[in-house]
Amino acid sequence: MSKLPEELIALLNDTGSIKVIATIDGEGHPHVVVKGSLTTLDDETIVFAEGLEGSLSNKNLVRSIWFDKKVAINITKGLTSYQVKGRPYKYLITGRVFRQLLDRARERRGAEADIAGVWVITPEEVRNESPAVRSSLARDERGLFHSHLDLLRHSE
Amino acid sequence: MSLNHELGVEALSEKYVDVPKSIILKLDLQRRGITFTDAAATETCTPYYRGPEVTAFSKKETTVRPLPGPILLRDGTSVLTGPHDSQFLRPYSIDHIDGKFYAIDNGERLDEVDFSPRPEFYGKLTSRGIPMESIAWSRPQRLDLYPYRYCHYWDTREQCKFCGFFTDLKTQKQLAGDSYAKVVHPEDLYETVREAIKEPGRFSQINLTAGTDYSGDVPFENEVERYIEVLQAIGRNFKTRRFPSQLIAPAYSKQQVKRLYDETGLSSYCPDIEVWDKELFKWICPGKEKWYGRDYWVKSALDAVEIFGKGNVYTNFVAGVEFAQPHGFTSIEQALDSNFEACEYFAKNGVVYLSIVWRPGRGTGLAGQQQPPLEYYVRLIRGLVEIRKHYGLASDNDDFKHCGNHGDSDLERLN
Repeated sequence: MSKLPEELIALLNDTGSIKVIATIDGEGHPHVVVKGSLTTLDDETIVFAEGLEGSLSNKNLVRSIWFDKKVAINITKGLTSYQVKGRPYKYLITGRVFRQLLDRARERRGAEADIAGVWVITPEEVRNESPAVRSSLARDERGLFHSHLDLLRHSE
Repeated sequence: MSLNHELGVEALSEKYVDVPKSIILKLDLQRRGITFTDAAATETCTPYYRGPEVTAFSKKETTVRPLPGPILLRDGTSVLTGPHDSQFLRPYSIDHIDGKFYAIDNGERLDEVDFSPRPEFYGKLTSRGIPMESIAWSRPQRLDLYPYRYCHYWDTREQCKFCGFFTDLKTQKQLAGDSYAKVVHPEDLYETVREAIKEPGRFSQINLTAGTDYSGDVPFENEVERYIEVLQAIGRNFKTRRFPSQLIAPAYSKQQVKRLYDETGLSSYCPDIEVWDKELFKWICPGKEKWYGRDYWVKSALDAVEIFGKGNVYTNFVAGVEFAQPHGFTSIEQALDSNFEACEYFAKNGVVYLSIVWRPGRGTGLAGQQQPPLEYYVRLIRGLVEIRKHYGLASDNDDFKHCGNHGDSDLERLN
C-alpha cells in the first residue's frame, strides 16, 4: 500500500488520539489493547512499541508474523476514526527505529520506561470509520429505510 | 548414512506447518554459512553497521574487512553465523538491493534481512588504552565478554573435536600470546561494560565465556577466582545486586558454583555438555572427559539448580556432532532419541538443554565431516521445545534476541 490518507496520518501523529490494536490468539480468539505509542514514521507503515515480550498481544503478533495472520488497528479522536487492517512485517529489537520509540516512551512515561521491541505493520486496508462518513455511505447505499422518521420530519 | 539432503527451507516449511519459515531459514543460515556480495560488503562497512576493527580473536595486525553484528530476521530472530571463509558447500549469499539486505539462495531472494548495528562503545579505549571492541562483542541485545582467551585443553591436544575457539578458524592452534594477551584486566572489563550500558536500550544481558583453565590447588580454582574477580568488577556498574548475566564455563563443584552465586551478581550458569551420548562424549570431548567426565558435568548442572534456581541453569549441545564419523550415529532417529532423552532428563531436573547447529569448521578436529540435513534440525527443535514446555521451562537467558544460536529457544516465543 502507498501512502496513508492525510487525515489518518494526522491522527497517528496526534498523541491525543485513542489507538488500539486487535490480534488473535492460536484459537482465533480476539484480544484488544490500547497502544499509545502507535504512530507512523514514514507515512506508509505503522509502528508501535511493545512493552513486554511475554504479553498476550505480543505472542499474538509473533504468531501473526510467523503464520501470516492479519491484525486490525483503530485510531480515533473525537468523531474521526479509522480502521487499518494489515500484517506485521518486522519486529525490531535494536536499531534506529527501536531507539526512536524507546526515547519517545521515556519522554512520555519517564526515564524508567522501557520497551521490549517495536512492531512494524504493513497496512493492507484502510477504512474510514468516522460516524458521519459511515452514515453518509450507508444512506447512499441502502436508501432511506434505516433512518428513524423523527429525523426526517419537518421541524415545528 | 541414510540422510535425506533434498528438502530445503521452502519444502520444510510446507511439511512442518507449525514451525515458522524464519526459524527454518535461521537453522540453514547457521548450517551453511553466508557470503557477502560486493554491495552487501560495502554497506556493512558503513558507520551504522561497521563491526569491530579488532576483536578478542584478532591477530595484532589484520587487513580483514570488519564483519557486522549478527543477522536479524524480520521477526526479530537473531542469527549467529558468518562467512567461515566459504568452507561450507553452497553458503547463502547476502546481497544489498535498493537499500535493503536480502538472503539469497541459488539466485532466489528468500527474505529481507538486516544486521545488528554497531554499538556506540566500539572505537573507544579503556583508560589503559585497550580498544573496548577487543574486550566486548555486541550481539543485538547481549554483550559478550571473554576474560581468558586461551583453552588449556589444547595443551594436551584434548580440546573438543568440534571447537575452533581462540584459533584463526583455519589452523588448529591457540593464538593467545602470539596475537593477543591471554588475560583481560578486570578494570578493562569494568570500563567497557560501563561505557556499553550508557547506550539506551542497547543491551539487556551480559555473557561471559572463556577458554578452560583447570589449574589451581583444587582443579579450576584459578579460573573460578578469575571469574569472581571479573564479575565483581562488572557488577560495580549496576545498582542491583544481581544483573542479567550468564556464565558459560566448565563443570564446577557445587562449592565453586555457590561461590560464584554468593560472591557475585551472576544470574545464570551454563556448563555445556556438548554431546549427550556417553561414548561420543568421551571421544568428542576428551578434555572434559579427563576433567572429570560426563557424569560430573551432568551432576554439576543439576547441583547448580539448587543454587541458581530452576530455569537459570543451561547446558548447550552441538547439534549434529553426534553424527561425526567414525563413531557417531548413522540415523536421524538414533540422534533424535538421544537428544530427547537428554532434554527430558535435564528438564525434569530444572536444566535447559539447548541446541547449537554444528559447523564442522576448517580449524576443528572434525573438519570436512558431513552435516546432518536441515530436516533433522527442524525435527530436533520441535521436540526439544515440547519437552521443555511440559516441564515449564523457558530459555529467557538464551532466547531469540539474546543469543542467536538456538532455533529451539526461538520457538518458545509462543509459549
